[in-house]
Amino acid sequence: MAEPTIPTINFKEKAEELLPQGASFESCLTCGLCSSGCPASGIENMDPRKFIRMAMLGMDEELSSSKWIWACTQCKRCQHVCPMSIDISQLVFLARSNWPQEKKPAGIVRSCQLIQSTDSTSAMGLPPEDFVFVVNDVLEEVRELQPKFKNLEAPMDKKGAHFFVNQNSREPMSEPDEMVPLWKIFDIVGADWTYSSKAWAAENFCMFSGNEKAWFEVIRKRVDAVNKLGCEVWLNTECGHSYYTMWNGINRFGMEVDFKLESLVTYYARWIREGKLPVNSDWNRKNIKFTVQDPCMIVRKAYGDSIAEDMRFVTKALVGEENFIDMQPNRSANYCCGGGGGFLQAGMTEHRRTYGKRKFDQIAATGAAYVLTPCHNCHSQMEDIGHHYGGSYGVVHFWTLICLSLGVLGENERTYLGPDLLECI
Amino acid sequence: MIEEARHFTAELAVIGSGLAGFAASIFALNRNIKTAQIGNTGAIAYTTGYLDLLGSLAPDYAASIEDPWQGLELLRSSYPEHPLCRIPQTDIHTAFEQFTGFLGECGISYSSPGKTNARVLTPAGTLKPTLCMPATMQIGTTAFSRQEPCVIIDFKGLKGFSSSQIAANLKDQWPELRNTTIEFPDMSLGEIYPEVMARALEVPETREKLAKILVGAAGETKIIGLPAILGMHSPDLVRKEMEQLTGLEIFEIPTMPPSVPGIRLREMFEQLFPQKGITLIPQQKVDKLKIEQDGARLFLSDSFGPITVDAKSVILATGRFLSGGLEASIDGITEPLLNLPVTQPGSREEWYREKYTDRRGHEINKAGIEVDASFRPLDNNGAPYSNNLFAAGVILAHQDWIRGRCGAGVAIATAYKAVEEVEKYLS
Amino acid sequence: MTEKPTEQTIETEVLIIGGGVTGAGIMRDLSLRGIQTLLIDKKDLCAGASGGNHGLLHSGSRYVFSDLHSAIECRRESTILKHIAPQCIEETGGLFVAVAGDDPEFAENFGSKCEPAGIECTPISTSKARELEPLLSDRLFKAYRVPDATVDPFHLALLNVAHAEMVNGSSFRPHTEILSFICKNGKIEAAICRDNRTQSTITVRAGQYVNAGGAWAMDIAHMANCKDVNLLYSKGTLLVSHDRLTTHVVNRLRPPGDGDILVPGGTVSVLGTTSLRVDDLTTVKPTVAEIDINVREGTAMIPALATARYIRAFSGVRPLLQSADNADDREVTRGFALLDHSSQNLSNFCTITGGKLTTYRLMAEKTSDLIAERMHNSKPCQTHTTSLPDEESCRWTEPGASPKYWYRANDPEDMILCECEMVPQSAIDEIITDAPGAEDEMNLEAIALRSRAGKGPCQGSFCGIRITSHLYDRGHYHDKTGLIHMRDFFNERFKGMRTIIWGQQAAQMELAEALHCGLLGLNNLEDD
Ligand SMILES: Cc1cc2nc3c(=O)[nH]c(=O)nc-3n(C[C@H](O)[C@H](O)[C@H](O)COP(=O)(O)OP(=O)(O)OC[C@H]3O[C@@H](n4cnc5c(N)ncnc54)[C@H](O)[C@@H]3O)c2cc1C
Ligand SMILES: Cc1cc2nc3c(=O)[nH]c(=O)nc-3n(C[C@H](O)[C@H](O)[C@H](O)COP(=O)(O)OP(=O)(O)OC[C@H]3O[C@@H](n4cnc5c(N)ncnc54)[C@H](O)[C@@H]3O)c2cc1C
Ligand code: SF4
Ligand code: SF4
Ligand code: SF4
Repeated sequence: MAEPTIPTINFKEKAEELLPQGASFESCLTCGLCSSGCPASGIENMDPRKFIRMAMLGMDEELSSSKWIWACTQCKRCQHVCPMSIDISQLVFLARSNWPQEKKPAGIVRSCQLIQSTDSTSAMGLPPEDFVFVVNDVLEEVRELQPKFKNLEAPMDKKGAHFFVNQNSREPMSEPDEMVPLWKIFDIVGADWTYSSKAWAAENFCMFSGNEKAWFEVIRKRVDAVNKLGCEVWLNTECGHSYYTMWNGINRFGMEVDFKLESLVTYYARWIREGKLPVNSDWNRKNIKFTVQDPCMIVRKAYGDSIAEDMRFVTKALVGEENFIDMQPNRSANYCCGGGGGFLQAGMTEHRRTYGKRKFDQIAATGAAYVLTPCHNCHSQMEDIGHHYGGSYGVVHFWTLICLSLGVLGENERTYLGPDLLECI
Repeated sequence: MIEEARHFTAELAVIGSGLAGFAASIFALNRNIKTAQIGNTGAIAYTTGYLDLLGSLAPDYAASIEDPWQGLELLRSSYPEHPLCRIPQTDIHTAFEQFTGFLGECGISYSSPGKTNARVLTPAGTLKPTLCMPATMQIGTTAFSRQEPCVIIDFKGLKGFSSSQIAANLKDQWPELRNTTIEFPDMSLGEIYPEVMARALEVPETREKLAKILVGAAGETKIIGLPAILGMHSPDLVRKEMEQLTGLEIFEIPTMPPSVPGIRLREMFEQLFPQKGITLIPQQKVDKLKIEQDGARLFLSDSFGPITVDAKSVILATGRFLSGGLEASIDGITEPLLNLPVTQPGSREEWYREKYTDRRGHEINKAGIEVDASFRPLDNNGAPYSNNLFAAGVILAHQDWIRGRCGAGVAIATAYKAVEEVEKYLS
Repeated sequence: MTEKPTEQTIETEVLIIGGGVTGAGIMRDLSLRGIQTLLIDKKDLCAGASGGNHGLLHSGSRYVFSDLHSAIECRRESTILKHIAPQCIEETGGLFVAVAGDDPEFAENFGSKCEPAGIECTPISTSKARELEPLLSDRLFKAYRVPDATVDPFHLALLNVAHAEMVNGSSFRPHTEILSFICKNGKIEAAICRDNRTQSTITVRAGQYVNAGGAWAMDIAHMANCKDVNLLYSKGTLLVSHDRLTTHVVNRLRPPGDGDILVPGGTVSVLGTTSLRVDDLTTVKPTVAEIDINVREGTAMIPALATARYIRAFSGVRPLLQSADNADDREVTRGFALLDHSSQNLSNFCTITGGKLTTYRLMAEKTSDLIAERMHNSKPCQTHTTSLPDEESCRWTEPGASPKYWYRANDPEDMILCECEMVPQSAIDEIITDAPGAEDEMNLEAIALRSRAGKGPCQGSFCGIRITSHLYDRGHYHDKTGLIHMRDFFNERFKGMRTIIWGQQAAQMELAEALHCGLLGLNNLEDD
């Protein structure tokens, strides 16, 4: 069979369709601010300004088949710094969707296929019954071994619960104990929550694979699941892109939903403010330094700076104001880590690390011992580039640190703690 | 989907995040006025970091003027409509002091506003007059005036900044000037951006690597000039450390866009304003502005949805064409937010002179909105549009900041004046 | 720059004056007949009408009402050019469209008028026309398809010159202006020229002298005391949009008028033209009034022209052979004239002027026939069958060519200097060393003429700086000259922008001026 070819897109025409109001690619000043601030610049000899100019110059064939579109994480930083607010990521999405399935990076495609393969919508293909089993199994163990939590709950398919909580597949699949801190937090604040056996998973690589139909299908399943349980809030746990794909997808596909989409980070902040999560930084006697990675998927691309402020509030409460060092740039201007957009799954390791060099430099400049982030992709990517470039920092979830601060972090829940943190327990 | 509308209130809403907008917020902060600022990237992203007060005088903007204060006096007699002529010199001085003082506190030290203009280096190897400059650029000016030996260093892969060009153009005036090219550590292949180098230099290890190379490149010379790459958010610190590591005196020369100094300023403001209690909504444009007797409402939206801001007073600091404060169409120039009348040449034929570099500058650059003595924009009848609406920055008519080399001057001084008037209004 | 004016004498078989397409075409034609030539231009290649036209390779249909002879000539010549110079031509096809308000009878007759000229003209439905060109007005009532095409005159002229240089060492000298002739015994003995760069005098001794001075042909003829060239001048103004708006050439189906042709030019579209009698060739430039007329008229055909971003405007002058006293200059014959000046008692001088870009080859053929005959050279013309070669250094004028080349080469070290048109450093280097007219002190304008540098939305405001820096790095400049060239380049580019600075272009201009004057102080270069 002949190699499938990549059809050619007329980018200029599409650009006009995509951006009817203002912000047209035509208004580009070719000033280069976008390229200067894009970590994917230089990869495959490309950058966002070149992408726009090539589109304008009608180099449709070249752009349609450029591998660079898989190196652009669609993080929208270019748009953020552009005086004309030009959004290249939309064209990149278009180009991705145009690649024949067979040619797309296999890892991303496979993740999307797996998501579609079960009712779980899990990118690791974990079926509902297995998820239910793992949750119950872990729960039993905790109840047994941690007397404080002998009544811990992890409700499943509980109708009318306030929160519908999603879960990144990585936990039930490969590090199930990492779910426990989250449950403990819910327990402590007395949240009315539930998992769903269906559509419980958070991740959604269908958007990154440029498969709009599959993206829609996944979102539909998740929306249906929330509606079925009649929950008021779809609560996104610490996973950046799952929030974005859901929130953006609902708008994009014009879906009607009558629940709220919220990120757990905002609730951490709220519960701390309300005194429900009595965290403090007294444990950090050695003044271990922390910084925060703002996932672009929930900060720049969705909530904006308000959620970034919440993250900082939570972090400072957890580690002490004086032990928090902000990365530069940060919040909405932060760099994407380079793990997003399916980059981690795309198999382009060298490019991904090149992209991640900026993140590494940012982290290195803070001198912090740990990076806190509410995003699984960010987490994996930062660990990887840390090892690759010889960094000495660790990456931790918020839930870990919250439980550590509250003195309830179980033995098996300490995977991401270095010796310095372990000593603080 | 259920969304919560976001809503903010403030005593003052500043529209625009150029120098005028940021300056206005700082002055408001100093006067304890509760402020919200909204504005996206505009001209500030391209600035050099030099803060000009007044560098050349109409009508032919010839050789640079040495004493900008005296220049202001001359301007007052020849061109009284100029916004800078409507503000007392002492206020202008205070404005510059407060502004540079704030920057200094935030890690970007500036030379304080003096009696005369300094002649500072440009990336083409020309000199321009300015009043205040970032501390990172100061040594270049002193080394030049003292005619000390110096090496300008550029980097392989950095486009638009040629040390040979700078040396070739300055050699008559600075015989002790030499130049060389080096590679930036770990960035030897292809194109590199000043922004990337600056951020890399925030990392101690990169500084150490670069320092070794610089020492080699400097040879016997004790002063070196680099493109503006000495760190992004802590330039003072980066320069100090680089000097310690190399034992050399180091200064920066601004580069062409996309360049570091503008991003430095913007990121610093975006970093610190929220900490100081200013409600900053960065990277967004106000779509609609409704001014009423006792207050104003601003409408905007970000990717998350609609936002409204209610404020008792408003400063319009939306800049000119580049920033979107003014719009030029085939039929004329308009102000898009409130459709304020714009003073402008009679026809498009008069917008530009025949020759681009005509010494007298172009008429279109003097177009803009009119304000009364309290810097309130005027409506079609020549009366203030509203008691609570003020304007600042280069959106104002009767100034050509480009040729007059008074960009920061107009922005900072008028912002000071506008905030003063806001305070009067609020009390 | 510091060179002292010197005197120099050059000998050649034929001196050709005027480096437009006609002069370049003659140079090539003669070289193929084995005749050695020197081509000079007071400025550079395509400095006259050849660089200031619409770029339309006429199928002839435009002239079927007014001038059947020209129509047929165009049909023939465009067919030949499509064969011998495909690299300079894009076979876009053309449409003729009538919109509400246009004369229906005129529109109806169009097809039958094309027939006698042998031009393929197909009526199509208005919906078909709008399918082909979605931006066409919905007020269309008649449409035809014709075999119009577009041609890049810069590439064409460069290739003609490069080929001639290659074939027999004929040469081209830019910046060489003819000042006077020394005539004796019914012959021109020498041409006195000035090098406009160095101000030195150059004497050229040739057997034959060809005046291919386009609109300047009358002035040049006067230098040899020839009174038989009588020209009127008609100025045409055009504007360039940032985007290519149509794939076809779109003509308004009505008697020729203002703003009635939109010609795609690679990645842009060119709207024009106006037609205005002028007396003085030195002050030709677009005016705001002409721009407004073009936009207003063009909008009737393509409404998007009202809101398009324009990046440039320019004017060219058509020399009109003074004969009939026509009311409308567009009605004057677009034919050309070859004068052998025998009536003026000169036996080694001729003038070729008028005509069209489309017929440049034929004009060159007729002129070369005359010269060859005078030189007793019996070799026949070969230009209708011999293809133009693909000379590497000439390829950079084609829109979209340099990014394609750059993308394929995929060399991270080959940095893009002009980001708008994506012209890489290697292209600049090649032009400096190898392109026709390459010289020691090639300036930005000359580089821009031989490439797309400075032709995009920023109109050179950024790339001018980057290329200048690169030239300093290359050791091309050692003193202020580079800055002066840069300023002159910006001034030159500005001439084409002055009348179309509104909308996005006003933002672009403000940024440019802030950089050039606010920061670099190019307006004060002389003051220090
Ligand atoms: C290349 C370059 C070099 C320069 N170099 C110097 C220099 O060396 N020295 C010097 O003193 N000055 C320099 N300047 C000038 C300086 O940066 C400012 O342009 C000038 O001081 C004007 O400031 P401003 O705040 O009035 O306007 P601007 O800086 O233009 O700011 C206007 C702001 O308003 C925002 N805005 C517009 N519309 C809206 C809306 N509807 N809602 C919200 N926000 C809106 C824009 O996005 C922008 O942020 C330079 C400028 C440029 C472009
Ligand atoms: C507005 C406009 C639109 C047009 N559109 C089209 C079109 O779409 N299609 C088409 O086929 N034709 C078109 N034409 C016609 C076409 O451009 C010309 O017929 C053609 O370019 C003429 O070329 P040329 O070489 O004869 O003259 P030119 O290109 O004018 O060349 C004359 C040269 O002589 C040089 N010169 C002058 N004086 C001296 C001197 N003293 N010493 C040395 N050199 C000197 C000048 O610098 C100039 O370069 C258009 C013309 C105009 C004006
Ligand atoms: S930042 Fe915006 S205007 Fe500047 S080059 Fe990039 S897309 Fe164009
Ligand atoms: S979306 Fe992010 S990665 Fe993609 S071009 Fe823009 S800045 Fe670069
Ligand atoms: S992985 Fe993190 S930083 Fe990277 S794209 Fe996702 S959210 Fe953005």
